Amino acid sequence: MSAALPHHLTSLQLRDIAMTEPALKLEQVEKSFDKVRAVDKVSLEVNTGEFFSLLGPSGSGKTTLLRIIAGLETPGNGTVHIGGRDVTRLPPYARGIGMVFQDFLLFPHKIVADNIIFPLKMQRLPEDKQKEQLNWILSLVRMEGYEDRYPHQLSGGQKQRVALARGLVSRPDILLLDEPLANLDLELRKEMEVEMRRFQAELDIPFIYVTHNQEEALTLSSRMAVMHNGKFEQVGAKLDLYNNPKTRFVAAFLGSPNYIQGQIKRMEGTIAILDWRGLDLRIPAPANATSGDKIDYFLKHERILIQSLRESEPAKGENRFEGTLRDIIFKGQHSAYFVVLENGEELVVNAATEMPSLKIRHAVEVGWLPEAGDAFLKEED
Amino acid sequence: MVSFWKLRQSPNFRFAMLTLPGALFLLIFLVLPLISILIFSFWRTESYQLIADWNIENYKTILGQKTYLTFMWRSLVMAVSVSLVCLIYAYPVAYLVAKRGGRYRLILVLLTAAPFFTGIILRVTAMQQILGPIGLLNMALQTFGFEPIQILMYSNVASAIGLVYLWIPFMVLAIYLSLLNFNFELLEVAYVNGAKPWRAFLEITWPLNWIGTAIGIVLVFIPTFAAFVTPRFLGGVNGALYGNILEHQFGATGTWALGSAMGVVLFFICLIFIMIIWRTINLQRSGYTGEEF
Ligand SMILES: Nc1ncnc2c1ncn2[C@@H]1O[C@H](COP(=O)(O)OP(=O)(O)OP(=O)(O)O)[C@@H](O)[C@H]1O
Ligand SMILES: [Mg+2]
Repeated sequence: MSAALPHHLTSLQLRDIAMTEPALKLEQVEKSFDKVRAVDKVSLEVNTGEFFSLLGPSGSGKTTLLRIIAGLETPGNGTVHIGGRDVTRLPPYARGIGMVFQDFLLFPHKIVADNIIFPLKMQRLPEDKQKEQLNWILSLVRMEGYEDRYPHQLSGGQKQRVALARGLVSRPDILLLDEPLANLDLELRKEMEVEMRRFQAELDIPFIYVTHNQEEALTLSSRMAVMHNGKFEQVGAKLDLYNNPKTRFVAAFLGSPNYIQGQIKRMEGTIAILDWRGLDLRIPAPANATSGDKIDYFLKHERILIQSLRESEPAKGENRFEGTLRDIIFKGQHSAYFVVLENGEELVVNAATEMPSLKIRHAVEVGWLPEAGDAFLKEED
Repeated sequence: MVSFWKLRQSPNFRFAMLTLPGALFLLIFLVLPLISILIFSFWRTESYQLIADWNIENYKTILGQKTYLTFMWRSLVMAVSVSLVCLIYAYPVAYLVAKRGGRYRLILVLLTAAPFFTGIILRVTAMQQILGPIGLLNMALQTFGFEPIQILMYSNVASAIGLVYLWIPFMVLAIYLSLLNFNFELLEVAYVNGAKPWRAFLEITWPLNWIGTAIGIVLVFIPTFAAFVTPRFLGGVNGALYGNILEHQFGATGTWALGSAMGVVLFFICLIFIMIIWRTINLQRSGYTGEEF
């Protein structure tokens, strides 16, 4: 009894350790192809139950990073831990992960049922268990009745459901998804986004979701990373990234904001006065900024107030400019208003569609507080 | 039109299309002669003369006498083993070239056919120079004081080696062409889903490339079953195969009618073999959906 006790404790402790470990931990992961640094010193922790998105433009290294996690590429440097276990040197088949690919990659010679149970078959699960799991996942992805079809007899959306089912059926430690919705049309994509969140919430499996579609990343994920040139620009809660971009790239990328360039005329404490092609613009002063510095200022469309002339008084410290409404593009509940200012610059403003006082080619007023936008010292390039 | 489209998508139809040019060739140069052979096979020969005296004695001889059955059996064993060896050897070669050959892959594949540039007799004699009693291999062994390897001199093994060497380019080419259309990413999917490499091969690569492989097998099996030049040069006196006996009827003994009947039997054995292979393609869902080709 007493001899068995320490052993018992050890296993409990081991389980504790496993439970406190993040589902995925990357440390200083690097990968180069010839001269291209595809992934450059990336560190990351993702916890159980998280929906984590990797967002970045084409060629930023998202796929490469995902393939490193899957074991399909070996990192030149750094380590990969899954569930507390160092898998850096393990082949993909020993990692216990699921993966969903952009072009679905179902096995064309296997029927839906055989595609889905493939991971279970590889694990040598008893056949009745396989059947049980199959029925469970088929109902989860709402594909009952399609078991006997071949992939070429399915629509794009159905193929993606099967691919998801195959990735999830063995309840992997993590599910990797590489732009799984990129090949679907818009309507289907919206539908699948909802489904994707449902699967993730129901199964409590961490999803690592690669996309270059920021709307998708912002809709789906709890946390996300923005990737650029193989590096993580910023990692954090999605609203934090959206509201407080830490780098110029993230500020310029998320929300596709208005891009304003100017030179600092003078400093007023934490506020810098920018010469914006003849207009004085108040912006939050970037760290170490002084008079004469060139500045990039990014202003999200929905942060700008638009109204007819002198409809309201400006708040203290607010930027207020007059301009002409050039065009309105209807986008449903919201519309995009294109305003040309006195200095010839054009701003895009997102606001409610129902604004009868605003007429095209008439004078309008736009306004925003300095903190509404994000200012960065212009990078030398 | 619709039914044609459906037909176009069926693996059988693909198989038929792939073999059509060959089939046309066969019609002119094989089927027409074959019909005459079929007719002769029901005649009889007397003093080197064909006599139109309809009978089935030739077939009774071939299918009833132990000697003919033995040679048939030997050829069958030879064809099966040569096909197998070719398959085992050619698959990794074709696979490596298709996967890693890069821009040199066409040249690499054509290189496997390099021996074809010289013609069959030369190639078989070349093999004889290597394997025979005064061949390179055994001479070398003897020079260093070893016994010559008997089994490589004038035996069925020597014939088999020669035949493998002769027909392997067909196998490599057939498998290579199939692998060109194969999506290797499917293997990565298999690995991620827990398949070890050998399992992924059996589950994915093999079935998805079975049509090409089957064509390769047919292309090796048939000429091997009918072979007579290679066994004559390399097989020696005891290495005669069905093809040698067949050839004999048209040469030395001049029993054309019996020879014709042997030819007909050979033809049907090959036909049955093709049918068997065809059946496996039929049953196998080979994954071709009409998109990849
Ligand atoms: N096998 C490879 N060999 C050489 N270079 C590669 C390879 N794979 C990726 N790269 C390079 O690494 C960089 C990152 O590629 P990666 O595919 O990871 O980008 P991505 O973010 O997934 O882009 P996309 O959104 O277009 O899919 C690119 O410059 C790419 O050209
Ligand atoms: Mg990619």
